[in-house]
Amino acid sequence: MDPTTVMYVSQGLQGLAYGMILFLIASGLNIIFGMMGILNMAHAAFFMLGAYICYQIVAMTGSFWLGFLFAPIVTAALGVLMQQLFLRKAHVLGHFGELILTMGIASVIVAAIKKFWGTQNLPLSMPDSLNGMVSIVGISYPAYRLFVIGLALVVLVLMMLLLYRTRLGKIVRAAVSDREMVNALGININLVFMLVFGGGIWLAGLAGVAIAPILTVFPGLADQVGMDAFIVVVTGGFGSLVGAFIVSIIFGLLSSYGVQFLSNFAPVLMVCFMAIVLVIRPNGLFGVKE
Amino acid sequence: MKWLNKRIFVIGLGLLVLSLLMGISVDSQAAPKSDWAKPNAAMDINDIPDMSDFDPNHPAVLQGDTIKIAVVAPFSGPASINGQIDYISIQWAAHVINKKGGLFVDGKKKMVEVIKADNQSSPDGTKKVCERMVLREKVHVLMGTQGSHLMKIINQTAEKYNVIAANFGANSDELQDATNFNRNAFQMTQSVSQLGRGLAYYYGKIRKKEKKFYIICQDYSFGRGLAAAFKQGLKEYYPEAEIVGEDYHRLFLTDFAPFLIKIKASGAEVIYTGDWVPDANNLLKQTRQQGITLPFANIYMDEPVGLNEVGVEGTEGLVNISQYGAENPAFKTEADIRNNKMWNDMWKNKWKAPYNAALYEWPLGTIGSYIEQTYWLLSVIERAKSTDPEKIIKVWEGDVYKFGNRKTVKMRACDHKVIQDFHVYESVRPDKQKVSMNIPPYYWSKERSAAGPVHVIPAEAVLPWMDPKLDRCKGKNGWGE
Repeated sequence: MDPTTVMYVSQGLQGLAYGMILFLIASGLNIIFGMMGILNMAHAAFFMLGAYICYQIVAMTGSFWLGFLFAPIVTAALGVLMQQLFLRKAHVLGHFGELILTMGIASVIVAAIKKFWGTQNLPLSMPDSLNGMVSIVGISYPAYRLFVIGLALVVLVLMMLLLYRTRLGKIVRAAVSDREMVNALGININLVFMLVFGGGIWLAGLAGVAIAPILTVFPGLADQVGMDAFIVVVTGGFGSLVGAFIVSIIFGLLSSYGVQFLSNFAPVLMVCFMAIVLVIRPNGLFGVKE
Repeated sequence: MKWLNKRIFVIGLGLLVLSLLMGISVDSQAAPKSDWAKPNAAMDINDIPDMSDFDPNHPAVLQGDTIKIAVVAPFSGPASINGQIDYISIQWAAHVINKKGGLFVDGKKKMVEVIKADNQSSPDGTKKVCERMVLREKVHVLMGTQGSHLMKIINQTAEKYNVIAANFGANSDELQDATNFNRNAFQMTQSVSQLGRGLAYYYGKIRKKEKKFYIICQDYSFGRGLAAAFKQGLKEYYPEAEIVGEDYHRLFLTDFAPFLIKIKASGAEVIYTGDWVPDANNLLKQTRQQGITLPFANIYMDEPVGLNEVGVEGTEGLVNISQYGAENPAFKTEADIRNNKMWNDMWKNKWKAPYNAALYEWPLGTIGSYIEQTYWLLSVIERAKSTDPEKIIKVWEGDVYKFGNRKTVKMRACDHKVIQDFHVYESVRPDKQKVSMNIPPYYWSKERSAAGPVHVIPAEAVLPWMDPKLDRCKGKNGWGE
């Protein structure tokens, strides 16, 4: 393959990988914000918390995979605690109340992280088994990024199966659509929402663990990704996992090819795309009009 | 024969005039013979007292009439690590002076009191805290900070209330240009133009090897200024060099991969960047993850944790320009060893978080630079024998001072910018670090490549940019003469 073709194909692969990173971050927010309608400004903070908890587990055990397994679970548990203690009661205040509350919780999480782990950068390296390059159609590609792509695809499939092929998924979709009716049918609506919220935070923690080896673990990690996650959810359509997935890929490719061909304008391409989509389809690409 | 003699005379006279003119134009940028080598004052490192009672987490509480210095920096928020670095450096220098009995100013001995002034990394926060420091705390000096947009506010506040502004951390040349200059503000630290041109000088005049450079910087005034300075420097010192690519990215970028693909395809031999943490760490980390082994010519790619994460191989060959300069070895005298070990021992055994992190292991690099700059400020105040800003300005303008690490600096009188040599160090593997780290264990770190050979960038090659529109500087050369 000639060098120019290699470059363009590489940009495509990188765009795909970045899109999957965006999807991992946005998927949890999609469930919480998109499906449950809860404006969770602490989502990025939980993403960062997942990375820190993973760092702690790796520091204690030496195993990245133990961190990968347990850090999202711990993060989800903390998220559920937050939901039960605070968010459930603030729900009656509407979006504004949730906004203020979750912003406060985000600040508390950041302060707690600094108190417990300090303000310096923390090392979180990728596991040795994924540290290296693989060859794809003659192009060298980081193995870890392939892992992230695979992980995002697995998350998508699992979430789709859970939502559309299981009884629990039916209940969740019904509860999101009409909580009073579901409640009237004798289903514990609070338990359902708790599970959904916990699932969303679990995804945030998983994203934090998966992406931390590519980035730097430091107290500003949440600021790096928070806005991008919201843009994906809004553009893809609230509650649509497929929408979030497709938009993430589009954003990833826009980012890569934007840098390749329109370097000065690359940062605004994502936002421009969002603006165009919302003008044509105000509920997002795959959003459903209420 | 008469006409021939006349012609020879005329030609000879012409050659003499020409050579005199050339001599003037060449010598104007060479070191001035008058005062560069003769400092007005120097930091005596043999005189550093026992500092074993120093604890940055529990500084001594001072009473009475003191020389008040506000450290305007972020002590909260995501940039709070900068405030920590600033505070320990300045407090250390102040503590040294206090242990020696303080300074004789305003007719009596006074201790130096360092006050934290949290600017929350915001312009509004900076303005409020500066005014509080001046009006309520009655500080004599506002020392600040990373972020030229914030330092500008500090400078303006200092002028408004007639106190001194001492800049140790903001690098923009514009701070001291015709629009922004004021007599109360002094830039003790490096400027953007010096950094970029300094690295270009190193590659063109010292290393003379790689020719193809790829520039990738943060997309704001500082990043673009550094890139412009490097390009200008290449034109001056390395005209045969080629810039094979140039990109600017937003701050706190998540994914550098698209830029790295372009770099890979460009044929670059060196990547030049002015990125600071976390971008610097992420850029290096992701570059190595992509299998790209090119060296970085950098300014802020020096955070230990990030470098350790990349490892010895990944950090070998990095080239860093520093204003905390010293030729090798790092520890030249017994006093050097004693003072640095004193700090290191306390770091190991006494200090608690956050000051027991790897970043604070030695008082060198950025920390060393801030300590030396603080000594300079305090020396000026001592020689002025006063906290009166006019007296301080009078001493400081044109002042030549010798740091504890034997580097000489000069405060250019017309625009209050510092003239100094710079040093470029190459990162080498632990077994080769002995040339720099000349005391046991003879390496800076086993986990990363670190300082090895050090090269001097002479001051005359990197004189700070002087705004031609600044009236005070009109008719003056790069030395301010």
